[in-house]
Amino acid sequence: MTRSATPKLAAYASLSAVGLLTALVFARPEVVALTAPFLLALAAGLALATPPRFTAEVILESTRALEGDELPAQVELEATTPVDRLDLYLRLPRGVQLADGLNPTELRLAAGERRTLELTLLASHWGGHVLGPVYLRVFDPLGFLSWESTVDARQELRVYPREDALRRVLSPRETQLSSGDEVSRQKGEGIEFADLRRFAAGDPVRRINWRASARRGELWVSESHPERNTDVILFVDAFAEARRGGEGTLDLAARATAAIADAYVGRRDRIGLISFGGILRWLAPGLGTGQLYRVVDALLDTQIVLSYYWKEIDVIPRRTLPPSALVIALSPLLDPRSVGALLDLRARGHDLAVVDVSPMPFTTRPAAGIDAIAYDIWALRRNALRHTLQRSGVAVAEWHAGSRLQPVLEEVRAFRRNARLARV
Amino acid sequence: MAALAVAGIDAIVHGGDLIGPVTVIAALAAVLLLVGLVRRRTLAIPWSVLLTAAAYMIGREGSPVVDGGAAIVGVLLLLSAELASWSIENDARIEPEPRLVGWRAGVIGVLVACALVVNFLLLGAAAVSASTGLVVAAAGVVAAVAAVAIVLRLLRA
Repeated sequence: MTRSATPKLAAYASLSAVGLLTALVFARPEVVALTAPFLLALAAGLALATPPRFTAEVILESTRALEGDELPAQVELEATTPVDRLDLYLRLPRGVQLADGLNPTELRLAAGERRTLELTLLASHWGGHVLGPVYLRVFDPLGFLSWESTVDARQELRVYPREDALRRVLSPRETQLSSGDEVSRQKGEGIEFADLRRFAAGDPVRRINWRASARRGELWVSESHPERNTDVILFVDAFAEARRGGEGTLDLAARATAAIADAYVGRRDRIGLISFGGILRWLAPGLGTGQLYRVVDALLDTQIVLSYYWKEIDVIPRRTLPPSALVIALSPLLDPRSVGALLDLRARGHDLAVVDVSPMPFTTRPAAGIDAIAYDIWALRRNALRHTLQRSGVAVAEWHAGSRLQPVLEEVRAFRRNARLARV
Repeated sequence: MAALAVAGIDAIVHGGDLIGPVTVIAALAAVLLLVGLVRRRTLAIPWSVLLTAAAYMIGREGSPVVDGGAAIVGVLLLLSAELASWSIENDARIEPEPRLVGWRAGVIGVLVACALVVNFLLLGAAAVSASTGLVVAAAGVVAAVAAVAIVLRLLRA
């Protein structure tokens, strides 16, 4: 602990010294009477000032929470010497707020006393947060000396984004070989009726369509679409974001990614993640709830890192981007590198859909003048960029902050359905 | 502010012929403390105490009798300094426990009471042993205060 004298000590010491000297010079007992209280306070204060000894520990009941959750936390203090006045402040990171309790607070501990400060924290923003350190300042009873210390009792808290529940997600162009919930376009063993064809040697009897056979006078069999699973790669653009206040396009993208991942995991599909930005992060496709947690954990570490390095999709490991996977990109389409990567993915034949996380709600159009014209040109360029992607056969839908994700996905679905019909 | 004002008024009441300068100095001390409280300047406390004490002593100039009221004025100055420093260091963002506030008020109360006792003893001793000289009286004060400090230290340990 670092000990330091407060301004009060200097003031009282000066007053005492000046008073006693004045009393001696002017030989007036009244001056001594005016000075003696300060001298007494000084002596008593310094006599009572003993270095404090105590421990502080931060305890979080849960290290994982959902956005908007309230979670209890405790600061446990144990003193071995009297702690007359203790100022305590637990530093809370951006994204975690105090919902209830005293922080900072001032308290007193007797020798041997153990105290637990109860705090209720509000996980207001998703991300990986670190609580602490705890800043401590102790004063002697009369406030002449102070001891300052920092307890590095850091606690990690992972706050997961609270996502929308999606009723329907995008269907990929191609399915995988494992069984799942997606009706494949190919024919095989399944429930969904696909077509009729003439009986061929080796066809199982149970596939004979007796009604069609009776009508045609020869054996016909029913063909069906098998139910398969899919590979879905969630491509998060972390090159740039538009931010205003505590919310930005990356926050929206992270929430949407978590929602989409949750929906696909529920369908027994394999999900993977590529966070394409200043720092490249990826997660190879995998199945199940464990994979969902891995994706969300990776999302929590996603952040915008300034980089001038021109990255292309070649830097993405090959196994992270299976050729028949559906790639759903969540991007504000602000950085040409990410737009280039998306066009490149499409050019290489990947099944791509883009959710344009609109930066417009995070910007304000200037009232007039050249700035307003520049803003309008920028908005037009964004439209042109979306059309460029759409002309390449990429389904793009714009998603605004405050609106639900499901209609945006429906828009993407509609585009993909129509585009397919147009090709036929 | 009230404690300092009482000490200042006492100085003005007993100002005698020098009531003008005494009033000016006491008012200056009060204004200085007020500014210090508003602008949270700790340095204003010793200066306002010093000015009030100066106003009191200027008002007593020429009086051959040892004034017993000095004991109370000294304690009022201490009280004003303690409360002023509490006000200045008080941070609205730091919420203290209610029992801590009571404990701090108690500490100041005990300190003021002790100071009052010490002052009365001091002035009584000074009146009795005026012939022995002020140096001895001052040494006695320092010794008494040191003794109190040692006792407190031992109690704390």
